[in-house]
Amino acid sequence: MPSFFNTWLPFIYLYGVGGIFFFAGMILIRKLKGIDMRQKKHRFWWKVMFFGYFYFMIIHALLIIAALYW
Amino acid sequence: MDRIHTMGTQTDWVVMIVYLIAILLFGSYFSKYNHNTTDFFFGGRRFSWWLIAMSIVATGVSSHSFVKYSAKAWEYGFSSSMSYMNDWFFIPFFMFGWLPIVVYSKIRSIPEYFEKRFSPSARFFVTILQLLYLVGYIGIGFLTMGKAILPLMPPSMNLFGIEINITLMGLIIVIAFVTGAYTTFGGQIAVLFTDLVQGFMLLLAGLMVFIIGVDYVGGWHAFWNLLPTDWKLPLAHFNKPPDFNFVGIFWQDGVAGSVGFLFMNMGLIMRFMSAKSVNEGRKAATFNILFMLPISAIVVSGGGWVGKAMSMLSNSPIPANTEPDFIFVVVANIIMGPGVFGFVIASLAAALMSTVNTLLNACSAVYVNDIYGPIKVWMKKIKKNEKVNEKRALLVARIATVAFTVLGVLAVIPFSSYPTVYEAHGYFHSTLTPPLVIAIFLGVFWKKFTPAGVIATVIGGVSLMVLGAYYPGILISPFDHGTPMDPVHPYTYIGALYNTLVCLAVGVLVTLFQNQLKKTSDILKKQTNHNFIIVTMIVFTVIMFGMVIFNIGGVQLLFILTLIMTTFVAIISTYYIKYDPVAQTEGLTAGSIHRAKELFKGSKLNEREGEIVKVNWKERNDNEDEVNLSKHEMNKMNAEVGDLVYVSDARKYLGGLKSFHSKIGKPHDEEGIIYISKEHVTNGLLIKTKPLTVEKEM
Repeated sequence: MPSFFNTWLPFIYLYGVGGIFFFAGMILIRKLKGIDMRQKKHRFWWKVMFFGYFYFMIIHALLIIAALYW
Repeated sequence: MDRIHTMGTQTDWVVMIVYLIAILLFGSYFSKYNHNTTDFFFGGRRFSWWLIAMSIVATGVSSHSFVKYSAKAWEYGFSSSMSYMNDWFFIPFFMFGWLPIVVYSKIRSIPEYFEKRFSPSARFFVTILQLLYLVGYIGIGFLTMGKAILPLMPPSMNLFGIEINITLMGLIIVIAFVTGAYTTFGGQIAVLFTDLVQGFMLLLAGLMVFIIGVDYVGGWHAFWNLLPTDWKLPLAHFNKPPDFNFVGIFWQDGVAGSVGFLFMNMGLIMRFMSAKSVNEGRKAATFNILFMLPISAIVVSGGGWVGKAMSMLSNSPIPANTEPDFIFVVVANIIMGPGVFGFVIASLAAALMSTVNTLLNACSAVYVNDIYGPIKVWMKKIKKNEKVNEKRALLVARIATVAFTVLGVLAVIPFSSYPTVYEAHGYFHSTLTPPLVIAIFLGVFWKKFTPAGVIATVIGGVSLMVLGAYYPGILISPFDHGTPMDPVHPYTYIGALYNTLVCLAVGVLVTLFQNQLKKTSDILKKQTNHNFIIVTMIVFTVIMFGMVIFNIGGVQLLFILTLIMTTFVAIISTYYIKYDPVAQTEGLTAGSIHRAKELFKGSKLNEREGEIVKVNWKERNDNEDEVNLSKHEMNKMNAEVGDLVYVSDARKYLGGLKSFHSKIGKPHDEEGIIYISKEHVTNGLLIKTKPLTVEKEM
């Protein structure tokens, strides 16, 4: 069985440190009014951006589980 | 080690040559749509998201991707895919920060942004870095292409009785000639349309290799069970080995690479600029990262994964002397029949042309806009805001393309010292991207960031990076996360973290001390010998920079000298540069995108949502840049006189090729009719009988 350094640590680091960048970006564009939540299109993009973050997180988690247990 | 030679059959060569000629002819056909430098470089800002998305695939999934990711897939397994699955983190910054600014500020190159936001001197330094980045990228492209084609060639060939040895460098020169010629005469529109075809071909070729390869080893279950568990993990080991570890690649590729690709890859930016609107650019970016990149990960790594599974078979068909960079070609040759192998390699070759075309195009765009234009102004041949002669600029762009092709070939030399293209590319990314990435990032998202800050980031940051390269054990090791240091190529990937941090630190510190710098500059200006003092500081700065570059003195001395030099650079920049923090941030930072849109439109925004209308067109006898719609259509569109519109041939599959932008003039009463000018008909390449769609932009 591969070690924690080979399995979940990279995953945690990727979505932890990467998440800091991602959520900092989300907060910043909201604060700077780069995204205007009054516009329907922008509200759509706001959801898409969150979706993308969790979409990749789930894909990676499933791939690790498949490698270890399938 | 003996290299593999003479793979493939005559049929493969015929297929390859026919494919390449077909692509050249296809691109040449679309070059007729280049009317001016805007079309040549940016494709006229009119295309639909799907066309942009496919053309991005061909640029992102280039031949170097096939070679480098298959190499790592062969050595380390599924974790080779991680570079394609870590690009989402910076998407908010890109979609709602950089992309709208790039489009609405109407800049034609990234350095131009730096002139508007900071100063001409900031533009100068950024131009140098930008060109180095682009030329380096071209060099990587040529190197991989050479490595992909070399196994197919015989060791030597007889041409008119002369025996010619086929070397990697010789092959690269031939490839560069063909690619340079194509880009020189094609331009961006040709690139966009060939990329559309090549995007499909690449995906097809890569998927074919993977699917046929899996079948070759006995189907999916056999393939899965042949691979050891370590090879199936999607992320590499956290910090080992030095040539492929997760944490290093996260900082080099996930951070510096992703930001570099999205924010400073002029080739990619030009793709987004050719989108008909910002929203269309967002769609292209999202579709590409969410759907095309995961598929691309399989496409580019599949050859290596299949190769690994094949090597686990009892009678492995993989030759023992296979170098990692050759694995894709070797696997394709084993599993594909004659002709099909030729098609796969031709797709690979065409993909390189695609990537290099885009980069060469970007180089010539930067040259024309950031060197040729400013020099004309400096020589007083034209006024500051006057446009350069279009015909002349197009000629200069074509000559520049040839020159950058030559420089790209020369850039291959340093990269060829790395064992694989992956490492060469990794080192290139971690070294060249951080100063520009930090400069762009702080410029866009930090209103207080000053010209002194950006110039100090470039000069001081680069000096600290050079010091890091000379003394990695002292300067980079505190950030290495336990990654072992390879003495030959130290910290190829994690060096990106150090480089990013030092550039960030310099930029932030200089900006935070702006008031003190201003006071120092004011005191200097009051001195009678202020010119002498400043010139002395410049001379010392050049000497100190030279000492760092040539590593004269120990690390401590050079580190102190770098700090002094950075301070000097900050003072000199503050002394010389006239900077208006209000005017020079308006519409140029993420906090003023609304203003950027107003400046783009030239009047107050109308952001009420409306319908897209379908109309027939009639031609007016003038060349006014406005269109006239009926009151009925204007109501449906929620549009007013003066609003910007995008008018396109209603056939969606054209992707916006026949379209133009304009603004709305006085309305009329003929329902279902739009009046347009002669120039609109010419530029939009419209056909009399075909209806148009009209969409309000803002």
